[in-house]
Amino acid sequence: MHPFQYQRPTSPAPAVATVAKNPGATFIAGGTSHLDLMKEGVYRPTLLVDVSGLPLKQIVDFEGGVRIGAGVSNTAAAYYPAIQQRYPAVSEALLAGASVQIRNMASMAGNPLQRTRCPYFRDLTQVCNKRTPGSGCAALGGYNHVHALFGASAACVATHPSDLAVALAALDARVQTTGPRGPRTIAFPELHRLPGDTPHLDTVLEHGELITAIDLPAFDGRSHYLKVRERASYAFALVSCAVALEMDGPRIRRARVALGGVAHKPWRVGPAEALLAGQPPSEKLFRAAAAAAFAAAKPLAHNAYKIPMGRNLMVRALLETSGLQPLQGPAGTAFAASVGGMAGRLATPR
Amino acid sequence: MAKKARIAFYTLCKAMPLPPESAPALHAGDLAPNGVLPDGSHLLELRGRPVILAFAPEEWNPTHAHQSELFARLSREFGHGAAFVDTATDEWHSLDCRGELAAQFGVTGQRALFLLDEHGVVRWKTVVESGQDLRSGQVLAALEALQPAASGGARAGAGALSRRTFVTATLAAAALLLLPGCSPDSSTKNGKDAAPEAPVGSNDLLAVTLSINGKPHRLQIDARVALLDALRENLHLTGTKKGCDHGQCGACTVHLDGQSILSCLTLAVMVQGQEITTIEGLATGPALHPVQAAFLKHDAFQCGYCTPGQIMAATALLRDQPTRLGSAVEIREAMSGNLCRCAAYPNIIAAIQEVQRG
Repeated sequence: MHPFQYQRPTSPAPAVATVAKNPGATFIAGGTSHLDLMKEGVYRPTLLVDVSGLPLKQIVDFEGGVRIGAGVSNTAAAYYPAIQQRYPAVSEALLAGASVQIRNMASMAGNPLQRTRCPYFRDLTQVCNKRTPGSGCAALGGYNHVHALFGASAACVATHPSDLAVALAALDARVQTTGPRGPRTIAFPELHRLPGDTPHLDTVLEHGELITAIDLPAFDGRSHYLKVRERASYAFALVSCAVALEMDGPRIRRARVALGGVAHKPWRVGPAEALLAGQPPSEKLFRAAAAAAFAAAKPLAHNAYKIPMGRNLMVRALLETSGLQPLQGPAGTAFAASVGGMAGRLATPR
Repeated sequence: MAKKARIAFYTLCKAMPLPPESAPALHAGDLAPNGVLPDGSHLLELRGRPVILAFAPEEWNPTHAHQSELFARLSREFGHGAAFVDTATDEWHSLDCRGELAAQFGVTGQRALFLLDEHGVVRWKTVVESGQDLRSGQVLAALEALQPAASGGARAGAGALSRRTFVTATLAAAALLLLPGCSPDSSTKNGKDAAPEAPVGSNDLLAVTLSINGKPHRLQIDARVALLDALRENLHLTGTKKGCDHGQCGACTVHLDGQSILSCLTLAVMVQGQEITTIEGLATGPALHPVQAAFLKHDAFQCGYCTPGQIMAATALLRDQPTRLGSAVEIREAMSGNLCRCAAYPNIIAAIQEVQRG
């Protein structure tokens, strides 16, 4: 690991000022992703600004929704009653991700900012435009079974690994930040970027811009997160799907669907959402929506399996969210979010 | 006489009286003094070959298995050309580091390692003061500066050592790391003259206080030190295991303010002021923690390497999240961050369930 200086400010303003004026500086909170990458030599910050001591660890009711402090742990957010009951997709995404230990450490702001799990990004012997801009993309002609179906570029086909981010995108969460140019609010679906020719930039955050809170807007519908992975627990998603449904009597008033594991960012499927709006839920409708969602998919050599897998997962997520099929476990838990493995082995209350 | 790449590895200053005063500390680039070695020969006689001098405290016990292993490795590497002075019986000696040579080198009462080149010039040194510890990473980083070029290129002429000398230096440094620290009363006022030199590539050490198993521990460590390494290498709390070192196996699980975390992905400097509990802090006196007892009863391990992490994960779950732990399926999900290559999972779950039932 390369040497670095370490600072631990006690309020956001000096943290932002310190990072903003130092190009080699970076924030660190839970450290679960960051320290791993530093050990690998992928990250080489010269100054670590520890934001884990900042007073950003409260969850409060806010404008009919919930405001989650940036430093709240993934565990604390997942089991917070108002979140688990009113935004089960968030708890399901959190609890189906990582392990107990990592959820205890990881912060709510850090989770959506974790870097891709593209193996070439972490392999210093391989070229990677995300790690070293301009060096090339080893995944394009490599073993790209976990890579993107949507929005990729000739420079990068990586996917975003966060489960939480997919749920937050479907719920149109808002990200509160403070940066060198003052505070601002970013709509969650706008937080992450597509790779284009600058894949080293994952988000629209400026250097030194610090997330202070994540707001879940008021929501009285149903939400749900479903994930397929290569083992029963403690694995990143191959494909995942977050659904937020608001009903108007027997009809869907508004549907929001985000896919994970298929793009450089949580992938909202606008055409599918438009198909669902105003319709009564049915498997036929959901199959049509899933077909629309994946119509523009561009598979690589090894990831075409994600298209039928993703379509079926999206149909199932919609069926379970709308109540046409039972959840595979209690809402707001990892069991509801899992496909295969331990799914279906716990009684579900719904 | 053909110059062979021969190494002399000495442990020094056996039972000598405390000298009246210590010389100023030697630094890299200084010519080493011509001291007398334990066998009566002079350092000057060893010109023409590199020499490693290891000043060791008397507590070093050569019967410890890991030290024997290291000695065996050194012997294998240098079995034919090396002059193991004072180890004629192929044994490491428990030696005091208060001898005359230690004083001449300015390191009385301290663990220290000097690497002299064939001209008798100090090429590298490191000193471990009382109460401090040296990390293998720091030593290796320092030695990297002396590493020979892969194919005898430009670096070899620019001060790099031969490969064999470098390998010896690395092994010798590793040997030093295994020595127990000097006890506080062995540090004299003269010994304080020799401040530890910053290893190459390292930044300043930080004063860090960790609260571990109810006791404060003050450390001088590099900011890069993970909690896991601080526990194992600096504090010798080796119950916490290093498995993958990347947050994938759970062997390094400890409690931070009662919650299970991965010590390998935690910087020690970031957890000051928080209460750390390790497997060493679980039992109350001679009485095992109920989870430890249940693991024994249910044979919940084979090789045992993952066991401290399994037990720390299980105790945190049982204490803080009883409502989230019901069936075996839920335990499996909650314990999925702790891998067991021996696959003792059914017995681990049985042990946890027994404690759960009370």
